[in-house]
Amino acid sequence: MTLLAQLAGVTKAFGRVKALDGADLEVPEGVVTGVLGENGAGKTTLLNVLGGMVTPDSGSVAVGGRRVSLRRPRDAWRVGVGMVHQHFTLVPELTVLENLALGRRTSRWGLRLGYDALREEVAGLVGRTGLDVPLDDPVRRLEVGERQRVEILKALLKKPRILILDEPTAVLTPREVDSLFALLRSLAGEGAGVVLVAHKLDEVLAVADRVTVLRDGRTVLSAPRTEVDALTLIRAMVDTERVDAAAVGHGADRSLRASVADSSPPVARLGEVRVRGSRGEDALRGVSLDVRRREIVGVVGVEGNGQRELALVIAGRLRPSAGTVRLPSSVGFIPQDRTAEGLVGSLDLTENVALALHREEAFRRGPLLRWGALEERTRELVGRFGVRAPGPGTLAGALSGGNQQRLVVARELHVAKDLLVAENPTRGLDVAAASFVHEELSFLRRIPDGPGIVLISSDLDEVLSLSDRIMVMVRGALVDVPHTQRSRQFVGALMLSGVHA
Amino acid sequence: MPDARRLGSAVVALGALLVTAAIAALGLWLGGYDVGDAAEALVAGSVGGRDALLSVTLVRGVPLVLTGLAVALAFRAGVWNIGAEGQLYAGALAAAWVGLAAGDQPAWALIATVLAAAGLAGAAWALVPALMKLWLGVGEVITTILMNFVGIYAVAYAVHGPLQEARGVFPQTDPIAEGARLPALVEGTRLHAGFGLAVFVALALWAVFRWTRAGFSVRAVGASPAAARISGRLNDRRVMLSAFLASGAVAGLAGGVEVAGVTYALYEGLSPGWGYTAIAVALLAGLHPGAVLLAGLLFGALEGGSGAMQRAAGIPAAWVSAVEALVILAVLAADQAWRRSAALVGPSREAVPEGGTGA
Repeated sequence: MTLLAQLAGVTKAFGRVKALDGADLEVPEGVVTGVLGENGAGKTTLLNVLGGMVTPDSGSVAVGGRRVSLRRPRDAWRVGVGMVHQHFTLVPELTVLENLALGRRTSRWGLRLGYDALREEVAGLVGRTGLDVPLDDPVRRLEVGERQRVEILKALLKKPRILILDEPTAVLTPREVDSLFALLRSLAGEGAGVVLVAHKLDEVLAVADRVTVLRDGRTVLSAPRTEVDALTLIRAMVDTERVDAAAVGHGADRSLRASVADSSPPVARLGEVRVRGSRGEDALRGVSLDVRRREIVGVVGVEGNGQRELALVIAGRLRPSAGTVRLPSSVGFIPQDRTAEGLVGSLDLTENVALALHREEAFRRGPLLRWGALEERTRELVGRFGVRAPGPGTLAGALSGGNQQRLVVARELHVAKDLLVAENPTRGLDVAAASFVHEELSFLRRIPDGPGIVLISSDLDEVLSLSDRIMVMVRGALVDVPHTQRSRQFVGALMLSGVHA
Repeated sequence: MPDARRLGSAVVALGALLVTAAIAALGLWLGGYDVGDAAEALVAGSVGGRDALLSVTLVRGVPLVLTGLAVALAFRAGVWNIGAEGQLYAGALAAAWVGLAAGDQPAWALIATVLAAAGLAGAAWALVPALMKLWLGVGEVITTILMNFVGIYAVAYAVHGPLQEARGVFPQTDPIAEGARLPALVEGTRLHAGFGLAVFVALALWAVFRWTRAGFSVRAVGASPAAARISGRLNDRRVMLSAFLASGAVAGLAGGVEVAGVTYALYEGLSPGWGYTAIAVALLAGLHPGAVLLAGLLFGALEGGSGAMQRAAGIPAAWVSAVEALVILAVLAADQAWRRSAALVGPSREAVPEGGTGA
């Protein structure tokens, strides 16, 4: 087995977040390598290192047996690494051919773009790969699957020896997935090294010859496809010990609490809710959900299965296209993107607290806001929740990520008298900040007359350890997880494959 | 508002003015003019005496303050209203029309009607780009600019056609009714009650931003529409629409005040581009209503002094227009420079690239 590329001991930190912590990757010739891992395991970052998009902090990258330093995508092309991105990099107003011409060398003086030669070359490539696209149509008129074919053509035109694809199947229909996989297989057959990240376990198992699993920025498994099965891979992806310990901790009082919750009327109720997604497909396909006081309903799923829409609907921020929604008057919402949706960085802490409280009677006098009372409340929240800030006049944008999240949690917990919706509330937080959020959620469940809590997360551990009830979101539908099946394996398999749905 | 932000705005404004002054002085020097004479003439012509101050600087400052407030209000809401000029013309047209058609109502009622008509007309002018923005997603920068031309030529049509003076000689209207005119604020000068109105609007806006829920809504939506909607339980579109219309109304008011307080008639070219200078005024003021008052009067002084500069030092009055444009550039540059230096000393905000932590 000839290695085309080898990454060893790669580390990379973004701020305080360690995305890679000693990851390895081998790209053999003529082989499709599948890279697996949970959200945040470091898959994209690792591929970006090989694609020249991310410069590692330490570790070595070798291509063709020689150590290389890839500082920008162009460096990666030069050594024969082509990348197909998760987000499209095409210019919508230009035609397919013009897009393919971008970034290519023009004639000697840069005067002729050489469209005829390019057209011929593309035609040859299309004949060989079956990547049929209308060359003279503007990209904006293309379907998502077609756009991806253009992206792949663009990468293949550079004749890479290694082709990297970051979640190429996320936007494709099952038939498009099949033809993509056939293409990847034939590219590998011609001797290319293909590396792909896919969210769905069954897809990786279907196409890959080798599988590499990342967990917490580290490579924990790397083996030929024939030597591993789905269960082994799920076990490798998730740290089982961590979960079991957490489950034991909460197990004792769960049954009691559940019975209390069951007898009370629901504070929020969704009935057959449908939401049309941004691409015209149904993001939510008839979701029904009851939430009662003092229970945590955990919703877990692979990103892009409708959790975002569910969060917005149940927080009262999005009106569904069909179905019934009954929500209490006081709903707290912890949105997943705290910098864009939770806080306004250019406003100070008091003003950010006012964002959620400005409707409350206690903070209004006619058309006026009672800034004195708001500032006092802010001081109180900042003190109680340990937000590290010089004072209520500090700009929210000047706080660290963890302190920003503390502020959002403090504010929304304060608002949520009846219902709290938390969407990936610990994403990107360090351990201390994350356990703070977990403690606050658990605490809320213990107080009499506490709100019902909906925890929507792609972190399986978080959901397993905190929730009274667990539901899995699969392609816009909610699937109940029976109490007896609350195992990491069962829920994980449901998340990844969707076969039980 | 934290002190850091207020300090930032002041530093930016001061820095921009210093840079502008330096460039202007350099330009004058290169052009062979005596910089000292020019500065002296500028000061004497704008604030050097009761008449220069009351009849020139303050009077010229009124439309600049009002349109500056209009722009600041819109920008605060994240609405890029570049159409204060057209809204001003619409207001002037409405004011002249009401003022001409007036009968023998009591003066206070007539003046109130004239100003209300001007405000409504300005708001109506802003309604077109506002609806195009909110319903169709058409960028308001282009549409408000285009509506400026419509406003300017609508006035030109009116004074050449239906509203032209009875004599039919000049492209202007007859004088509006005596009772529709704003009273003088200081006897023997041209300073009219519109100045008081401009000061009042500035203070009122300042109070609205500082203390009211409406003002807070505008600030929150302007700072981050997504956060205002998701975390602020605010209807960002409605807030933007209200701010857009209010901005148009204030700009329209500027036109009405000019007609009712200074010219008493409508004519082509009523505004030398106040609606555009207003952008410089608002940016220099860091979008603070109180500071807009100061910046508007400063620009009033510049324009007022430019005549004296031309007479005394032979410097073309157009020079001041160039200086006004320089102020915009300098403010934008100084603002960025300040942000960068603040970002360097302040706590670092690590930018984690999208998907950078894995996934």
